[in-house]
Amino acid sequence: MPKLAARTSATTRSGSAATRPGWLKRLTGRESYVAFWFLLPALAMLVLLRLWPLGGAIATSTQASGFGKTGFVGIDNYVRILQDATFLNALKVTLLFTVLVNPFQIVLALLFAVLLVQKIPAVGLWRSIIFLPAAVPQSVSAVIWGIVFRPDGPMNGALKVLGIPQQPFLTSPSQALLSIIVIVSWVGVGFWMMFLIAGLKDIPAELYEAAEVDGAGSLRKFFSVTIPQLRRPLLFVLVADTVANFLVFAPVQILTKGGPTGSTDLVMVEIFNKAFTTGDLAGATAGTVLLVLVVLAVVTAQFRLLPGRD
Amino acid sequence: MKKTFGLSVQKYILLILAILISLYALAPLFWAGIGAFRTEQDIFKYMNPLTWQSFIPAPFTWDNVQVVLQSSFPRALLNSIIVTASTVALGLAVSVPAAFALSALKFRGQGLVFAVILLSFLIPFDSIAIPLSATFRTLHLQDGFLGLILPGIGNGLAIFQLRQFFLNVPLELKEAARLDGMGWFALMMKIYVPLAKPALIGAGLLLFIFQWQAYLWPLLIAPDPQYIQAPIAIANYAGEHSVAYGAIFLAGIVTALVPLVVLLFTQKYFTQSIATSGSKG
Repeated sequence: MPKLAARTSATTRSGSAATRPGWLKRLTGRESYVAFWFLLPALAMLVLLRLWPLGGAIATSTQASGFGKTGFVGIDNYVRILQDATFLNALKVTLLFTVLVNPFQIVLALLFAVLLVQKIPAVGLWRSIIFLPAAVPQSVSAVIWGIVFRPDGPMNGALKVLGIPQQPFLTSPSQALLSIIVIVSWVGVGFWMMFLIAGLKDIPAELYEAAEVDGAGSLRKFFSVTIPQLRRPLLFVLVADTVANFLVFAPVQILTKGGPTGSTDLVMVEIFNKAFTTGDLAGATAGTVLLVLVVLAVVTAQFRLLPGRD
Repeated sequence: MKKTFGLSVQKYILLILAILISLYALAPLFWAGIGAFRTEQDIFKYMNPLTWQSFIPAPFTWDNVQVVLQSSFPRALLNSIIVTASTVALGLAVSVPAAFALSALKFRGQGLVFAVILLSFLIPFDSIAIPLSATFRTLHLQDGFLGLILPGIGNGLAIFQLRQFFLNVPLELKEAARLDGMGWFALMMKIYVPLAKPALIGAGLLLFIFQWQAYLWPLLIAPDPQYIQAPIAIANYAGEHSVAYGAIFLAGIVTALVPLVVLLFTQKYFTQSIATSGSKG
């Protein structure tokens, strides 16, 4: 393998784009041909098994909801659910949930990742244990946490030992959403941590050595080497975690069904209610399409505003 | 710095932190694990206030082990392993070339392809599962492993993740290999894949979690008990009139231990840095 100077990949990339040799330019046509075959299996899968059904959902969302009417109604279902107080509350709850849960999970995942790339005994074991909650079937972890958070459950038992009075957790409008955040973070943080560990392992040791020569302390090294070098994995984790949290459904459906008093009524739960409790399939698919649009807007903003996309 | 058992004080503090975080991850499972060896009446005893019996299953029972072994769970776990392992293998085979094309190749329409991949993982799969399962039925893909595996193979998130890591491979490596006359497929297999092993494990985790957690799709497409998946076998312990909590806990923990063992064996690949292996290799 050719010898390489230890340079950051960012400078390497921009440098070579400007000085691309002529033979490579001539090959660009052939590169398109190669790219086509390399992408074909994945794109075929994604178009047939994701985008095509989404197209079907968009079509359903423009049909009458079936309450005595049939046929094409255009954007009526969208207008209807956007005037529906329950759906608007679900949007509000989802945005609040998103703003709280994503920074919380990503900061924790980053801290855990930084800790678990240090040379400490049995580090692989600790990583795997912290990942473990993600491998528990969602229905099982929801049942376990439902009992842990019961007013007479072990969490209140532990609080009593510490002299803290009994808390209502999932049964209180003011604590239910925070309790859900604790539960989904117990599952999510260890999962996303693994990607940040992979990213941290990717940072050349030379960069840290160079920073030390310049007299940088731990904190300086973290902000001037770790964070910039981690920008691509970090963007991935931010986008993927944001999407995952917008689509949270099973734990909430099992534990609170959106209650008490709508305080945990995430859009996914509300869509499920519309489809299976109210029987409003057109409204539910319109809600799904709106949710995809909201997530698309947020993810696009993350791509535009943050480094690490190329 | 003073060292005890070859560890500095700083390392001890970090080790203690790692153990504390592991305890936070384990605590609810530990409590459920104890419940798996209690009788149904005892599971909700000793929760509050905490006593010594909160931490030890006394009286002890093997009843739940019996229930789990005699249920469809052993079969379901094997099915889940078959479906998930196939999905991870096929999913990587599909995702790696796609991510390679998006990061190492230049072609027209790159932005559009990337947009399609992004859009694909914003779509809540459970929301499109019902109409998609109807399509699968007309293609006679119901009640079989193929129908269970197919939706998991195309995973936009895995492609996006691999792309982010492939972009870190220094371009000089690619250009030097191309000048040496190396073909694109060889470049991908001999340079990109070996340099991005932690990223491959990451993509494997994304493909894995989609299938391991799948609930609605197997329920829709493979209701035949021959193809039952672990999460569904576990949900079956919750009957209309009673819930076998001990069996749910036991089967849930066993389900989580399978990937734990696999993950432990992959830890040795979380070692290299691309630039160091690039300059020293």
